[in-house]
Amino acid sequence: MIKQIGTRLWKIITSFELTIVSLALLMALVFLCTLAQVHLGTLGAVNVYMRSFIVWWQPQSMNISIPVFPGGTLVGMALVVNLTASTIKRLAFTWQKAGLWIVHIGLILLIAGEFATGAFQVDTSMAIEVGQTVNFVESPRSMELAVIDTTDPAYDDVYSIPEATLAREGTVAIPGTPLAIRIRKFFRNANLSALGQGDQPSMATAGVGPGVKVVGAPAVTRDEEINHTTAFIEPIAGGRSFGTWLVSTDLGAPQGFTYEGRSYRLLVRPRRIYLPYAITLKKFSHDVYPGTDIPKNFSSLIHLSNPGTGEERDVLIYMNQPLRYDGKAFYQASFGKGDTLSILQVVGNPGWLIPYISCVLVTIGLLIHFGITLRRSVKRRQSQKEG
Amino acid sequence: MKLAKLFPWLAGVLALAAVLFAMLPSGKVRGFDIQGFASLPVLEGGRVKPLDSVARNSLLMIRGQQSFRSEGHTFHADEWLLDLMLRPQVADQQPVFRIDDPDVLGLIGMKQSSNRYYSFQTLGPHLEEVQKQAQAAQPIEPQKRTRFQSAVVNLFERVYLYYKLRNTLQLAGTPGLAFEMQTLGTPDASQRHADLAQVAQFRPLPPLPGQNADAWQSTGEALRAADAGTVHPALPLLAQASQAYATGDTNGFNGAVKALEARIAAERPEFVSHADHEVLFNRTQPFYQGMWLYVAALIVVFVSWAWKPEVLRPTAFALLCVGALVHTGGLIFRIVLQGRPPVTNLYSSAVFVGWGAVILGLILERLYKNGFGTAVATAAGFASLIVAQHLGTEGDTMEMMRAVLDSNFWLATHVVTITIGYSGTFLAGAIAIGYTIRKHLVPDPDAETTRSLVSMAYGIICFALFFSFVGTVLGGIWADQSWGRFWGWDPKENGALLIVLWNAIILHARWAGYVRERGLMAMAIFGNIITSLSWFGVNLLGVGLHSYGFTTNGFWWLMGFDATQALFMFLCLMPSLRGATHRHA
Repeated sequence: MIKQIGTRLWKIITSFELTIVSLALLMALVFLCTLAQVHLGTLGAVNVYMRSFIVWWQPQSMNISIPVFPGGTLVGMALVVNLTASTIKRLAFTWQKAGLWIVHIGLILLIAGEFATGAFQVDTSMAIEVGQTVNFVESPRSMELAVIDTTDPAYDDVYSIPEATLAREGTVAIPGTPLAIRIRKFFRNANLSALGQGDQPSMATAGVGPGVKVVGAPAVTRDEEINHTTAFIEPIAGGRSFGTWLVSTDLGAPQGFTYEGRSYRLLVRPRRIYLPYAITLKKFSHDVYPGTDIPKNFSSLIHLSNPGTGEERDVLIYMNQPLRYDGKAFYQASFGKGDTLSILQVVGNPGWLIPYISCVLVTIGLLIHFGITLRRSVKRRQSQKEG
Repeated sequence: MKLAKLFPWLAGVLALAAVLFAMLPSGKVRGFDIQGFASLPVLEGGRVKPLDSVARNSLLMIRGQQSFRSEGHTFHADEWLLDLMLRPQVADQQPVFRIDDPDVLGLIGMKQSSNRYYSFQTLGPHLEEVQKQAQAAQPIEPQKRTRFQSAVVNLFERVYLYYKLRNTLQLAGTPGLAFEMQTLGTPDASQRHADLAQVAQFRPLPPLPGQNADAWQSTGEALRAADAGTVHPALPLLAQASQAYATGDTNGFNGAVKALEARIAAERPEFVSHADHEVLFNRTQPFYQGMWLYVAALIVVFVSWAWKPEVLRPTAFALLCVGALVHTGGLIFRIVLQGRPPVTNLYSSAVFVGWGAVILGLILERLYKNGFGTAVATAAGFASLIVAQHLGTEGDTMEMMRAVLDSNFWLATHVVTITIGYSGTFLAGAIAIGYTIRKHLVPDPDAETTRSLVSMAYGIICFALFFSFVGTVLGGIWADQSWGRFWGWDPKENGALLIVLWNAIILHARWAGYVRERGLMAMAIFGNIITSLSWFGVNLLGVGLHSYGFTTNGFWWLMGFDATQALFMFLCLMPSLRGATHRHA
């Protein structure tokens, strides 16, 4: 019985039907994902259609989600299983089939590489002004609440609470300090405005918060939009509350309080990841073609300084020429402030080499296979002519 | 019998002669050496080009043509531009603005009629209103504009280009450049010189010895320098040409043009030779010529199926060869002129897709010798060149590359490979359409030809899968090199992926035996829909990194094309019309 089921299952997962159905589903997903980008933005559409097991549909004014389509992750997995199994089952290990073997191994690698990217790639950015030295990168899509001890003018102690923790709305103890932060309300995105006459009083009791009206807003995913991450928090130390504060990326000036002679500042900002080395922007160049505003070139001349390894060197980062260092790649992405600010895209992807390898494999495999087919067909035509 | 053998050769030689004839320079117009003036290099849009290119591209943008007839005389773009710059009172009466939109016509107080072309003078009293409407529409995203808004913005942009050209060498309505030279340093002059420097569309005065190769000056800038005491040596010559043209002094004009060219050639010979080559390229119009050669070959091959195949099939092949030769020559000429790989924008991708399909079709014809290779090659070549002609009306087709695209290595590898993949997919689709038409129209199609058509389509799909896959992955690698992600699900990337997936589906369906002849052919036609959407459709979405300009007008053409392909698919799957009547009888 079990053997029978096993045989049938094996038949299904090695079938051409599954290949074709999966490829067709993938086509449909890619098409839908492309159309959805107009409204959701690239990242949003990719999360809905490609990086999901199931595509959900939420009818308007109803609070339920209905599964309507297999997602990219599921289809990708089906393809990998089908590819692997049918390659093993169907392809005889002969020279005639060598090309197809190489192609399919390359394809499995390619899909695995995309899974690795989805799982491990870290996208961050570094905004750096001419003359400035920066030793951290920022994650533009996730925020953090930074509690900064600014007592010592020589250096700051930074404690940060990531967005995911804020969203759970509990009490978080700050290690190494007597402080704890109680998160009373969290908004992934909110609109802030001045509190009017008839408005409900704010939850905040300290800082600028009492004068501000907060209205929650749906989170955005389009590339050009940003979330105004906002929270009401209550610092607690030694059993005493320091009032409820409004913190938001939309508020400019940092707010702060003092406890036992130490000054703390509260700030919501893009999540920072500190690097064991520092980068100084020496020069930013932005050339245009003469008489036009068509950009010809952007480049950042930076100085890389790593006290750990004693490295001190200058690097020129420009279009199509990133700096690869310490498992990260630094790309020239954007600029601003009258060409004095350079924005580098910093990407860490441990699997970045996989597509290169798989591309080479598939190319070689297809060449071998179609070469063999072509030779056979030419031979056949010749023998037909002679016969 | 002898004549029958010679005829294809004769047709080929005649066609080639006709192309070479177009390369000959034209004579003087009204005694003026307009050709000499149009060969002068200037700096426009970031690159050095002959005035001829400025003239042709501007007239294409404004009127949609490179020349026009008015009052019994054919005005070539060069003559029109010269008039516009030096005799604006004449040019302003030429009907150069094409206006189709009924609401825009209403705005300028016109009714829709058979006349679609209007002069600057006619538009004059309504320009303020046009500008007001256009400025109201400009902040709206191009995809979200109404038809009227798009049309009025488009008209305004054309009027603005016209206005800039009109005020590039000298301010319209002033006595001219010679007068400016006499009144240097006077109080009113400096304002005029500043205005000139402000609106100039191009820079006619080459860099002085020792200056950077980019340091071209507009007339206004040169006049300002002259105010301060440094007279650019070419400026008095330009003034002389201007005055001579306005007063009808042919000798004075021709002499000044010669002197100007000699002056530039002495210091910057590379600019002059580049400009001369580009003028030759413009005059030859290899892609336009190629288009007509393909049409001729296509008609001959159709006739050959009904009448005298032994003469007409080789004749069609000869015409196709000449077409391919001209097309290839044009591509190489363009590559050398621009110093870039063949595909740099949407326009050149159309030229290259056609070229790839033509070369593949030529090879198929050599292999199978049944006229089908010629038919699909010419049809694909003609169709893509006509698309290119339309895309080419949007400005300089050799525009400078934006920084992110400025990489000859990736343009040569990723872009060329993926474009060959498009060529292959379209060609397979064209073969399948040929198969469909034959199935319904030809009485008792012989099985041998049908088999060869299927094997042609199959081979081409394999070819297309290879190139589209490699091209897509190379695109990913370029993206990884330039902004740090291999695959970003950008619409254009997705489009390329769709082509790869579809070709893979076709091949697997065939290997598994799910489809045979008819199914394979219908799937190949669907490949045309996928490829057209991937190629142009993503430009309509207006998102992503690859969305470089495409008009909404294009949308309807695209939908029309896809509808015809769907119809062909349907016909392909239906039993033969002839077969049905046969059985009834």
